[in-house]
Amino acid sequence: MDLILNRYRNLTALVAAILVQLVLLAYQVKSNQEVRLIRVWAVSAVTPLARLLEGGRSGAVTFFKDYFVLLDVREQNKRLQTDLNRVQLENQVLRSELDTAERGRALSVFQEQSQMKTVAARIIGNSPGSNGRVVLIDRGTGSGIQPGMAVITPDGIVGKIVSSYPTASNLLLVTDPTFAAGVLSQKNRVHGTLKGTGNSNALVDYVQNEQNVEVGEWFYTAGDDRVFPKGLPAGTVTAVRPGRTVKEIFLSPSGLQNGLEDVLVILEGDHKPIPDLPPPGQSVHLQPLPTSEGDSADPLSAARSSGAQTDLDREVEHTRRIGEDQKHVFGERGRGAPDFNKVPAAAPLAAPSSPASASPASNSQAPSSSTPSSNQPRP
Amino acid sequence: MSDPDRTERVSSTRLFRDDTKFALGRIAVFQYASVAVFLFLISGFWVLQIRDHEANSTLAERNRIKTVPLLAPRGKILDRDGRVIVDNQPAFVVQLAQENLKLEHLAPIAEGLHLDLDDLKATVKRYAAGKRYSPIPIKRDLTPAELTFIDSHRDPGTFPELELVQEPRRLYPQNGLAAHVIGYVGEVSETELNSSDFASYSQGDLVGKTGLERQYNEILKGVDGQRRVVVDVAGREHQVLESAEATPGQNLQLTIDLDLQAVAELALEGKKGAVIALDPRDGSVLAMVSRPAFDPNLFAAHIKSADWKALTTNPDNPLLNRAIQAQFAPGSTFKPLVAMAGLESGTIDENYSVRCNGGGTFYGRYTKCWQKGGHGGVNMHAGIVHSCDVYFYTVGDKIGIDNIAEYAEQAGLGKKTGVDLPGEAEGLMPSTKWKLRTQREKWYPGETISVAIGQGAVTVTPIQLATAIGGMANGGVWFKPHLVKMAAPTDPRRENWNPDHIAKVVAGMYGVVNEGGTGTSAAIPGITLSGKTGSAQRVSNDLRKSGKLAKDELQDNGWFVAFAPRENPEIVIAVLLEAGEHGNLAAPTARDVIKAYFDKKTRLSKIAQPSLALIQRPGAAAPPSVH
Repeated sequence: MDLILNRYRNLTALVAAILVQLVLLAYQVKSNQEVRLIRVWAVSAVTPLARLLEGGRSGAVTFFKDYFVLLDVREQNKRLQTDLNRVQLENQVLRSELDTAERGRALSVFQEQSQMKTVAARIIGNSPGSNGRVVLIDRGTGSGIQPGMAVITPDGIVGKIVSSYPTASNLLLVTDPTFAAGVLSQKNRVHGTLKGTGNSNALVDYVQNEQNVEVGEWFYTAGDDRVFPKGLPAGTVTAVRPGRTVKEIFLSPSGLQNGLEDVLVILEGDHKPIPDLPPPGQSVHLQPLPTSEGDSADPLSAARSSGAQTDLDREVEHTRRIGEDQKHVFGERGRGAPDFNKVPAAAPLAAPSSPASASPASNSQAPSSSTPSSNQPRP
Repeated sequence: MSDPDRTERVSSTRLFRDDTKFALGRIAVFQYASVAVFLFLISGFWVLQIRDHEANSTLAERNRIKTVPLLAPRGKILDRDGRVIVDNQPAFVVQLAQENLKLEHLAPIAEGLHLDLDDLKATVKRYAAGKRYSPIPIKRDLTPAELTFIDSHRDPGTFPELELVQEPRRLYPQNGLAAHVIGYVGEVSETELNSSDFASYSQGDLVGKTGLERQYNEILKGVDGQRRVVVDVAGREHQVLESAEATPGQNLQLTIDLDLQAVAELALEGKKGAVIALDPRDGSVLAMVSRPAFDPNLFAAHIKSADWKALTTNPDNPLLNRAIQAQFAPGSTFKPLVAMAGLESGTIDENYSVRCNGGGTFYGRYTKCWQKGGHGGVNMHAGIVHSCDVYFYTVGDKIGIDNIAEYAEQAGLGKKTGVDLPGEAEGLMPSTKWKLRTQREKWYPGETISVAIGQGAVTVTPIQLATAIGGMANGGVWFKPHLVKMAAPTDPRRENWNPDHIAKVVAGMYGVVNEGGTGTSAAIPGITLSGKTGSAQRVSNDLRKSGKLAKDELQDNGWFVAFAPRENPEIVIAVLLEAGEHGNLAAPTARDVIKAYFDKKTRLSKIAQPSLALIQRPGAAAPPSVH
């Protein structure tokens, strides 16, 4: 046997390699893993080295800094910085809740907020093959991290986990063009979707031009994207301008403002109790929905609440006011027909939209409620 | 004696020979194995490169080049003044890209989008059996939360099969206003797809299902565009290869007047019935209301099965357009046409009189007048004004069913008016021929007595009644009713009805409202409104006496048909109140709508006068020079 193996050493090695590949391929297909095994192993193999190198680098840097500069002051400063971060998070959560609901509830809401189960992680490098808006953190499935989990810093949201390995995970940053999260403005409760733009800014999409958003206003997570718990700071508005169909709102993501070294991965959000285990067969972590607050689950009522009306709706309302003003019930005998040319005293005039041209070119997708009145003047 | 050296030589030679043989055998096995492996690989390549070449190259191309549909908005629906009745608003449809679809993702997607998992799986299965790479629309109207869910999960690492496409959604008036006129849109059905009319449609396309949305679907629908873009592995667009913009559908301008429509809608609130107002001079429909109604917005957002079930099982049948589909006995509103038949056929003149003592015996059966004490001596004018049943029993008997049918049919009863809406009912105008054809029985003269007061077999729809009376008041000229301006008929139907006869009948109808008749609640000071009330039984006398029906089922329908002004009428209106008891209760609705019409006319004339002056000033002839 040895003779054969020795004689055909190269061939044996080749056959063994092919066999191993086939077995691995079969395992990959059988286990239905989304991430290739080679990638898992490569990342698993590289991560300890990367962590070692990063640890060595930061250790050396810290050592020299601690040694040559002020060892005690640095330690103290580190503690204070940690405390400050925690207080900042508490403060922002409280600020949001105090502005939106009863101040008495804010404390209990915060207490719930602080019950979030998180795991701390460190950025150890850019993800291989990524364009730099996906980074690698040093915690993975071994720490309970799953794709779809939210990642934050005390300053705000950072991104979400897109893939996880035993010892590391890929974090999609808030600035990536494929990133999105539901957000609510602090002051006016405007709902929108935060999207990355590929640069340092993010934008808030799907906000109607009629809705009011101010520069400097804070946006917080709305909790409806099934990724981020509600109430985490997302960023401040840096620019607002009316767009063709929706408002253009640019946001400076607060979670990335002070650099990115250490982050928190949220294992369990806190706007609602979540199941102990993720649903079986579900490869992506879905955060439970928060209790609704001003955001209708019904598209019809959502559209209605945004004031979408036709001219017939407005004409009926106007006519109804004429009847009420003259104490007339339409279709009933009463004192005779009302005077339709008598404008109701306390009510504003009906505001029909401008007559639409019969040409297809005038066909706009915007609801007519936004167009000014110029038809059917009533003396 | 053996030679040991020889023995060693022989055995070593044998060993050498055996080793060689063994090695040669193994090499042969390896060669065969190698050939088998290569054959296996070649067959694999053949499958990939030759057999499935087209599919694989399409798949590869689709991975790199993506076609983004640009859905065309449907045309708006406007009233006669250009005011918007049906608009579009931006909305999104979420689709699953079949090439990226992973079945294990369906459960979290269904959860995130509030879809039933079994329904979603069935949809995917249905589409998978169709076009190979056509996207699967799974939800049409999305809440802001669902929109956010899709955006935050459609990255390549999570659910890359999720695609969001902007699709303009229909914005209909609220609370079912004008719902039956407008209709609604919905996804093209399997049955429709199998018909030649929908040959150009694909699964998931929106089409008009009822009302004007269906009637004018080809005009309202636009032409979708598309963009072909180069995308990277993350789905980000890098280059636009070609772009064909969507062409919106054409706007549809109606003859409906929102001022009148609003009044009619309010007058029928909480009631069951219909209102139809027409301009008898050209057949334009000025207002059309049917109640109870449905909310077409439910259909625009893909109606839920519970909502659909609630609509279809509702005993009041809110999906029925009562203005064109409800077929009821017209009751006394039929009497003016019977009078016309009497005058035109020469059977009676306007002075023909009958004594009403509260009833009369015809063909051995005593039949009552609605006025228990009787009307006394009644001529044609009084017969119409007071709606005397005995007068019309007598006159009807004299005229005969075939004469009545002839003139009623000339007025348009018993056949569709041809209004530009789908599903119009025909009504029924009985005659001797009709009975022989349908029941193989001869007509009994006693049946004419019932038909003469608008009962018995005769049935009409509100639009038929308005058209018939409008055409009569218009001098015997009937225009086809229409809802869309461009569908205005050029050539009306004319009958040689004697204008004097028409004037006599119209005088009677004027008296109904203005001379203490049955429709005085419709009177409007300053407007010569003429009309006729009608109360029509919905059930037979036998069934009424049986006690099997609820009280509201026993109540008569109330009708009122009216026009104004008395000469050269500009508006005719028919009002039906199901279980409305008496036409006099339907009359105020007609009054309010007609008042709205004339008030608007006054309003516009006041505005038009100064405008006219302004218009005329620059173009007017130069003032004469003074020398």
